[in-house]
Order: sequence, then C-alpha cells, then structure tokens
Amino acid sequence: MNETLRHISTLIRKDLGLHFRSKETLALTFVFSLLVVLIFAFAFGPIFPEKTERGKLTASVLWATFVFAGIITLNRSLTLERTSGALHGIRLTGVDASNFYLAKVISNLFFLSLLEVIITPIALQFLDLLDVVTVGVLLKLMGVLSIGTLGFCAIGVLLAGMSTSVGGESLLSVILLPLVIPIIMGGAKCTVSLLVNGTVASGMWLNLLVGYSLIFLAAAYLLADAVIEE
Amino acid sequence: MRLRASGITKHFGHRPIVKNVDIAVDAGEVVTIFGPNGAGKTTLLKMLATLLKPASGRLEIEGRDALAEPLAVRGALGVVVHEPLAYPEFSPYENLRFFGRMYGVARLEERCTTLLAEVGLSRFVHEPLQHFSRGMTQRFMIARALLHHPSVLLFDEPFSGLDAAAKSFVLQRIAQERAAGKGIVITTHNTELGYLAGTRFLFMLNGELEAVANKDDIAMDALARLYEERVVNLI
Repeated sequence: MNETLRHISTLIRKDLGLHFRSKETLALTFVFSLLVVLIFAFAFGPIFPEKTERGKLTASVLWATFVFAGIITLNRSLTLERTSGALHGIRLTGVDASNFYLAKVISNLFFLSLLEVIITPIALQFLDLLDVVTVGVLLKLMGVLSIGTLGFCAIGVLLAGMSTSVGGESLLSVILLPLVIPIIMGGAKCTVSLLVNGTVASGMWLNLLVGYSLIFLAAAYLLADAVIEE
Repeated sequence: MRLRASGITKHFGHRPIVKNVDIAVDAGEVVTIFGPNGAGKTTLLKMLATLLKPASGRLEIEGRDALAEPLAVRGALGVVVHEPLAYPEFSPYENLRFFGRMYGVARLEERCTTLLAEVGLSRFVHEPLQHFSRGMTQRFMIARALLHHPSVLLFDEPFSGLDAAAKSFVLQRIAQERAAGKGIVITTHNTELGYLAGTRFLFMLNGELEAVANKDDIAMDALARLYEERVVNLI
C-alpha cells in the first residue's frame, strides 16, 4: 500500500512539475477556452436572450469548451510520456500500470478543474449570467463539472494511451467523443438545470453523469494494464 | 545466472524478427551481440528488458520468471536504449530524483549527486536534458540505468554517435560494472568497441543468434573478419 501511494504521489508530482514547467498545455488550453467563450459571446451579444436561453447557451459553451480543451490536455499528457521513451523508463521502475493510470487521471482532473475554475466565471460574465448565479449554484456547477471531468479523464487517459502509442493524436477525438456522449449529455442537462432553476431538477441526468463516470473509471482501471503494457 | 532466455521468438505481423533465440548471461560477464541494422538486436534487447512480450519462449532474470512476473524483476534491470527513457524538460538531477523515488532508492539525494559526478555531469545537473549533446545524454542514460543498483545491464548500441572521449567513458564504465559482478548484454555493429567491452561474442543475423567465441579464444582482427564475411554473405 505504501509503495502504491508512493508511486501515485510521485507520478502526480512529476506531472504537475512538467506541466507548470513548460506551461505549454496550460497556455494552449486557456487561450483556446477563452477564445471559444469570446466567439460565442460576440456572436450572441451584446443583447442576450432571456435567462432560460442564456442558461442553455452557457451550458453548451462550457461543455463544448471543456471537452475540446480536455482532448488537448489528454493528448499532451500522454505524448509527454511517449517522447524520449519516458513511459518505458517508468515501466522499468516496476510500477503497476493501474497506478500509472490512476496518477494520470488525477493529474489531468486537476488541470482541467483548474481550467474550469478560471473559465466558468469568465463564461458566466461574458454570457451575462454571473449576476443571477449565486455562490451556492456556482459551487454545485463546479461539482457537476468535476464529476463530468472525472468520467472524461477516466476513459480519456486510457484512449489517449492507445492513440498516442500508434502515433495518431487526432485519433483520440474520433474514438473518445462517441464514448463520452452520455457524460456530455448528463453534464449539459444538469448544467442547464442549475443555471436556469438553480437546482438539478431531474435526478436522471445526474444519475447518468455519475453512473457513467464511475463505470468508466472502474472499467478503465481494470484495462490499464493491457493498454500500457502492450 | 543473472539472465537466461530460451526459445525467444517475436514476429511483427507475419515477419519473424527474432527466431528462437537462446542466451544466458552470468555474473561478471559481458555478452556482446554483433549484428547489422535490422538484424533484430533492439527487439531482442527490448524483450530481455521486459518492455516487449515475446510470442514464445522463456525468460528468467535472477532466477525469476520474467514473463510471468515482469514487475518483480524490473528492479534488477538497468537499461540503456536509443531513447533517454526520461523527460527532456527535466534536468538530469530532477530525472534521477523522480526515477529514484519510483524505485525507492535509499539516500536518494546523495545517490543522485554521486552518480552525476561519476558520469561527469556535475556541471550540468540543473540544465534541462533537451539541451544536452548526444554524448552528454548517453552519460545521463548510464547514470539513470545504474541509479537503483541493478544486477543486469542491457545496453543497446551504447557507442553510436559518441566521440572518442565518450566512447572511452562508456567502455570504462562497462568494465567497472562487470568487475562489480553485474551481468551485461551489449548490442552493437562496431566490432572494435564491442570486442573491447565484451567477454563473450555472438552474432545476430536475420533474427537468429549464433555463438562465436569467448574473448580468450579470438583476436579482434579475426572477429572483425569473421563478422564482415558473415554480413557480406547475407547480402
């Protein structure tokens, strides 16, 4: 157990160190996300439709932004491991592939959550919703985004591991997007509900979001060994 | 016996790359495998390093079944291949510290500092690896391979792209590790350096391994001639 924790914490620290050292991924995803928000704000503004429509628009913008920013982050995260054979170096330390996978999920979850914490208030402000959203709703919104991001990273890390191993970064979008549709659907519906009504009205969408995220995490954890060791 | 492989075979698609290879390496022995490009040397070394699964065969490292328990035997392996197996954005010190933590190396800070001094990188401990020349990278790779005191060393083309000083350093280090009782496998197509480093010689031609001689039984010139003849015969 101690060895597992040591491996996971060392891998997470390394990922954070690498990302904050180069700042390439952070800058790329932040600029990309900001651009998407600004494009939608300019296209629909400056006079926005009523609150219900604004809520739906903002939910769409947030999920589209985070899904594509997530693909950039995941690709970059696994490409770093393939360049210069670092992943082979890690495998040679005797680390269990599942621990490597878990560390990747946690570090990518951290990066995307950081992005969401920065971009969400900006999107709410530009799409004219910040003044009607309470702190409580904002916290619930971050909770919904975090669950969706966990599910996205859970399956995304596994597929990024596969796609970068065959040298096709663009392959990730093709294989990942169809699989995360239930997460995007559940997450977007919960986000609309929160932004329009201040609460998650239907338990079905939240259940879908949580259920899929946990199923993906468990399945991908079990498959990590086959993907990373092959 | 440090390492013993028998009947190791590997195909990429339908093309056989390594054919039914047997190899054994004892403590204090340096086995040099000579072979031209595409002979299957790197694939064989990756299988010995447990990074690639053979289609068939057995592999034992320090008496343990390496195919059944790859995680358990990897700590006994120190590997130098074409890639640094590290992060170019990190300095050699940061890389060694990271990999040392993963291996659970005791007194890690001291070990990193000592190793970097031994391989002549003391002045560059905080430079990112991506700024290093080929020779400096090779020195780092040797330090990385030795970090956790492995008993088996696998070196793939350790002399390629190096200047005379760096080649001499690699030769000295191999001799030092051999004297410390490690079992070492080197692949190379350089007969002179491979001869100087090795104690036993094998040829790898078209995926097949053939025993040649022990160092005591063959002179460098004779080995070079024999190798040339065997490679020319293949063409």
